[in-house]
Amino acid sequence: MLSKPTTPQILLDCRRELLETIDPAVTDPTVKVAIQMLENVLRNCAERAAHEIAWMRSESDAMVAYARDVASTVGSTAAIDAALAEYDKGDNVSLELDAVSDAYGRAGECLSTALERVFATGHTELHLRGRAILDVRLAHEDAIKGEWAFVGRG
Amino acid sequence: MIDPSVMPDKLAAFLTRHAGRAATVTNYEPMTGGYSRLMAKATVRWDDGKVEHLVLRGDPPPGKAMMETDRATEWALLSALGRAESIPMPAARFFDATGDELGTKCIVLDFVEGRSLQSFLNDCEPGAYGHHTFDLVDTMARVHSIDPSDVGDAIARPTDWSTYITSLIDRFRRADRDHVESNPFLRYVAEWLDANKPAPLPLRIVHSDFQPANIMVAPDGSHQVIDWELTHIGDPREDLGYYAVYSASSGPSLIMQDPLAFLARYRERTGFGEDTINLASLGYFSSLAAISVYAQILAGAGAMANGLNSGIMTTYTLNALTVGHANFMGGCVAPTA
Repeated sequence: MLSKPTTPQILLDCRRELLETIDPAVTDPTVKVAIQMLENVLRNCAERAAHEIAWMRSESDAMVAYARDVASTVGSTAAIDAALAEYDKGDNVSLELDAVSDAYGRAGECLSTALERVFATGHTELHLRGRAILDVRLAHEDAIKGEWAFVGRG
Repeated sequence: MIDPSVMPDKLAAFLTRHAGRAATVTNYEPMTGGYSRLMAKATVRWDDGKVEHLVLRGDPPPGKAMMETDRATEWALLSALGRAESIPMPAARFFDATGDELGTKCIVLDFVEGRSLQSFLNDCEPGAYGHHTFDLVDTMARVHSIDPSDVGDAIARPTDWSTYITSLIDRFRRADRDHVESNPFLRYVAEWLDANKPAPLPLRIVHSDFQPANIMVAPDGSHQVIDWELTHIGDPREDLGYYAVYSASSGPSLIMQDPLAFLARYRERTGFGEDTINLASLGYFSSLAAISVYAQILAGAGAMANGLNSGIMTTYTLNALTVGHANFMGGCVAPTA
């Protein structure tokens, strides 16, 4: 495959074409709003394409490690055990997007069950560590979102 | 419903049939600004020469809606609120319950002359919103002063506050369970909300999408509230929290300029006390309230992942889920180390 231009570069060029060529030729206000939305989605996709596999991988590692720490520190639950077993038996090696996305979902369940355990035990340090993992996830989502507001409303 | 080449004749036939007098549609144009439903404005001349403007509000084609709500429920609710004269709002006039006549299930309402409050706010210098802030508070308080019995059985009535809040919190867990992948934000927030419930309030009508684009300002400055599709009976602080989070991402925020003054005015207009309406409860409901809209958008995203939904509205509003996550977390105060 041709790796350059990269997928983000291609998507951002589509966005430029949309704004510079297509938008000026459109007068229908409903289509104008759709173009503004498309412009935003293309920006989101460019950012996602650049980072999503690396981000999901690093977050998955952190979520699973956290669940194991919670289980060993305050005792496990059937839900944590089941989530970790489900994670371990899946494909956590492949870099194909579908595989990474599936592993990310399984790792997310590990984190969710661990957070529920932490609330039940009132363990502050583990609580704060769990929030820090969510903060990283949110920072990645924010980077994908970029500038955003409901267009066309008002 | 959005094809101006066929809709004037369809609408004229529909109105003639349902109003019992001849109608001619002299103008028909799709409207922008509605996210969840198709919208159009029609100019109608009746057989007595009277001319009026009507708004059509209908379902998008199957698989194209960013959220699924029921037009029959909305029609029943609008009709009940209108009959009781509960609050100024455009009258709901006609309903195509099957979509056989207008191409999709569709409610026909009076058109409101004037502009939305959002449009007025967009024209203001940042920070200089004058009377609009308290006007917005007063309109919200008016919604929450509606007697829930006004709507009869048009919408479900929870048995009590505690059961209701518990079920609302559980919507976070259900949204996670029903989605195509695990979402730890939802499970974390559900736990936090369970552990930090505020003092109860009487259950009231909750608009659920209370924000300035859904408030029309008449030429005399009075407000009419529109878009009641997510309305339910619940805790009135849901609208306070929802408005706080909505306006944080689609400003200007009239509440964050001076939240204490905003809440004081709200207390004054509703009669609720400071034990229930305060910064802590605002934070709590900023996390809790957005779940209704959030869950609908998440369901649309899940449907898209399963190949059951498509369209720019669904992909574009995925970002609203990120806004939701930020607001969920912002309202859930971390414990001190």
